[in-house]
Amino acid sequence: MNRNIWWKVLLILGVLAVFTVAIIPTKSNPEPIRRGLDLKGGIHLKMRVNVEEALRLEVDQAMNTLRTQALSQNLPAPVSRRVTNTAFVAAPPAGVGTGEYERIGRDHLPAFEITRTGNDLRYTLKSTSAKDLGRDTVEQAKEAIDRRVNALGVTEPIIVPEGEDRIVIQLPGVDDPARVKDIIKTTAQLQFRMVESGPMPTPQAMFDAVPANKRAEVDILPSDRSDELGRKVGVEYFAINKNVPVSGRDLKNARVEKGQVGTPVIGFSLTPDGSPKFATLTRSNINRRLAIVLDNKVVSAPNIESEITDSGIIKGSFTQQEASDLALVLRSGSLPASLTTLEERTVGPSLGRDSIQKGFMATAIGFVLLVVAIILYYKGAGVNAVLALLLNLVILLGMMAYFNATLTLPGIAGIILTLGMAVDSNVLVFERIREEMREGKTVRASIEQGFSRAFATIIDTHLTTIISALFLFQFGTGPIKGFAVTLLIGLGASVFTAFFVSRMIFDIVYRPTERPKELSI
Amino acid sequence: MRIFDNPNYDFIKWRWHAVVFSLIVIGIGVAMFLTQGINLGVDFAGGANIVLKFQGEPPVAELRARPGNATIQQYGRAEERSLLIRLPQQKTEGDYAGDFVEALHKEMNPEAAAKHDLNYLGSDRLTGLLQQADPDNRGTTPAAGEYYLDLARRIIAKRSELGIFTSMDQPRSVSGVTTKVAEVLNTRTFLGQFNVLSQETVGPQVGKQLQGKALWALIASSLAMGLYIWFRFDFVFGVAAILCIIHDVLVAMAFLVLMRLEFSLNVVAALLTIVGYSINDTVVTYDRVRENKKKIKKPMSLAEHLNLAMNQTLSRTILTSGSVFLVLVALLIFGGEVIRGFSWILTVGVFSGTYSTLLIVPAVAVAWDRWNERRRPAGAAARVDAPNGIPAPKRRA
Repeated sequence: MNRNIWWKVLLILGVLAVFTVAIIPTKSNPEPIRRGLDLKGGIHLKMRVNVEEALRLEVDQAMNTLRTQALSQNLPAPVSRRVTNTAFVAAPPAGVGTGEYERIGRDHLPAFEITRTGNDLRYTLKSTSAKDLGRDTVEQAKEAIDRRVNALGVTEPIIVPEGEDRIVIQLPGVDDPARVKDIIKTTAQLQFRMVESGPMPTPQAMFDAVPANKRAEVDILPSDRSDELGRKVGVEYFAINKNVPVSGRDLKNARVEKGQVGTPVIGFSLTPDGSPKFATLTRSNINRRLAIVLDNKVVSAPNIESEITDSGIIKGSFTQQEASDLALVLRSGSLPASLTTLEERTVGPSLGRDSIQKGFMATAIGFVLLVVAIILYYKGAGVNAVLALLLNLVILLGMMAYFNATLTLPGIAGIILTLGMAVDSNVLVFERIREEMREGKTVRASIEQGFSRAFATIIDTHLTTIISALFLFQFGTGPIKGFAVTLLIGLGASVFTAFFVSRMIFDIVYRPTERPKELSI
Repeated sequence: MRIFDNPNYDFIKWRWHAVVFSLIVIGIGVAMFLTQGINLGVDFAGGANIVLKFQGEPPVAELRARPGNATIQQYGRAEERSLLIRLPQQKTEGDYAGDFVEALHKEMNPEAAAKHDLNYLGSDRLTGLLQQADPDNRGTTPAAGEYYLDLARRIIAKRSELGIFTSMDQPRSVSGVTTKVAEVLNTRTFLGQFNVLSQETVGPQVGKQLQGKALWALIASSLAMGLYIWFRFDFVFGVAAILCIIHDVLVAMAFLVLMRLEFSLNVVAALLTIVGYSINDTVVTYDRVRENKKKIKKPMSLAEHLNLAMNQTLSRTILTSGSVFLVLVALLIFGGEVIRGFSWILTVGVFSGTYSTLLIVPAVAVAWDRWNERRRPAGAAARVDAPNGIPAPKRRA
């Protein structure tokens, strides 16, 4: 027998072995083909980072810098107000020239452009600086989310920025969307600020209670009012100084501890930079109240009893869960700006499980139907086609395992569809062989002609489908991309099996040297 | 076994009937679209889809009475006790599904204030709960965390298997749940009214973006197909192929509108697949025409060539469509609710693709060819008797 054929047999068996190994689950790799969110369960989130908040903060800080620099240089503080997200206007007091304030701006606020309108100065954030700040904000948000997701122990998370201000987050296997979203979305901007006065039951009452000359220096912030047992019973308001001497950035670590009455509290320690700041703050304010402000809400406002240097606790009316989540977000750092949900797709583990079962059921039944139909119609050659089809399936799944492609529910549909289309290659060849036989050619010649004549057609049909699969890939998100990938791999495998495998089986069964008279087709 | 013995159908003869038939089908689709509109899914319209599975009879009336204009419909079979809740699009971005589910959870489960809902929480929070209670005295080491995480995952896996816990005996029967763990579950957890199977929220920005993307992908891939055919075969065939794709997509859309199926991302994926698939039959025919043109020396009109090629490849066309149809039926019946729309559109597309290859494509190609001929009558090819006994189609006066 032709030695060439045995080489081909070896090659095909080798291919079969390589791809079979790839799809057999092992202990170290229990899931050789990665399942998509729709089959495994999990969360897909698209968030917008509200970059304008970071811009406003930058402008507010610039206003503060201008004021403190002016005071330190014995100039009267200008009256400043923010006019847009990226600009503020400073009006020097009557009788003082603008020149000095312009100089301070040039020296200390290099990111701002200064223009004069009448007696006022307008400080505008340069567009390049605004753009950089925007990009940094998204990047910082991404990193903070990354740390939080890692702390949650999610395996194989995907967190990528998209466009100018969006972040796409995919968390496979997560089964508690509400909690995960809470943890991701909490800005967790922690601040330690001095209480000026309060509390009062309404914001208006609080505002009225602040002396008129102090009103520009305070924020009125809400706080949960709780009873002796730590239960929330209402809301009250504090007047809190605008100055932020110590913030979440100065925190080294945070963890849940048990408080005196068994309620959970958060213990924190400070960084080497943070502890002197905290020490100064507490030393100079003994017997005053310190507000612990989280995301513009007062968590608690304890009395400072003595100087605190490197660690402390945060009391509040937390449940165990809230406390551990808060410790987690404090540990992993705050978000530079809040997030808005643009898109969410969550598949619970039950539905994922159900989808997989149904998908496999449909594939199995479709496959059996196909096999029966082919063998009934083509008899001997049908068995050949079924072998090719089986190999096609193994190659398809093996390739997915090697490429680390994700199997999705539409992807399973893609596999079924590929099987249907892979049959097409065999059908094209077999019909051609039958035609040649009808014209009275010998078995060998018919096989030869059948394959070579069908070749161009099969390449054409595959190429057109590949083109549309490429568009699908380009268009699709998540599950649909999975569909496109399976389709593409399946099409490649189908060319290989139709030309190489089916041809070889014919060559073995109908050997040229034996001059076969009949062909089972 | 053979389907056709030397088939000899005159497809060209029936082309005008087919064109009229297709126009009627598409016309009905357009009319339905104009009067009733299209059932845009959450992907494109924005809003939210929530699928909940209930312990008992789903409270349809109560859900309908809630504010927010939710549409409620049964999801899957009645005995699955699941509902699909659709919330309309909002003007502002937000977590519509999450907020709705959270509010509903509080409302339907008053116990939630004091206890954890075993039908609602995930393995993570369950781990926290178990670790804190520490019924099996594992202490606070990392190994203890692993131990309870593993236990929690098994309990949640049991819930996934059942869809929802309906009795405390179910979580208690999970292997590894000791009497002490069962006690913790008894005292600190309860079984809520529903389990969230899936929730989707699409804000107005993303919806708009997806709409544009879908339309672009459909148009671009159809054009790419046409260009490929033009490059490989002929300009006429390219134009006919594009029209054939448009035809198949329109027929599938007409079916979608008629059946009130939801137009979703999956449906667009199905349409794109049809674009690739329906062109296959056409390519096979063209290939055969090209081959015959080389082989047959007698001059033949395009119509005759098409008829001959289509008859020669007829068994292949029917067989392939048949096998794809077979697997699609399996998908349609056994594939489940999530990809039902997708399977329907593919099935219709396969039908329409075969039909348009046999009847619509030749109509377009022949009409184009004859129009071209009339423009330059001098160069028209002489007509001779058709080969292989296929009668030449009657020429119109």
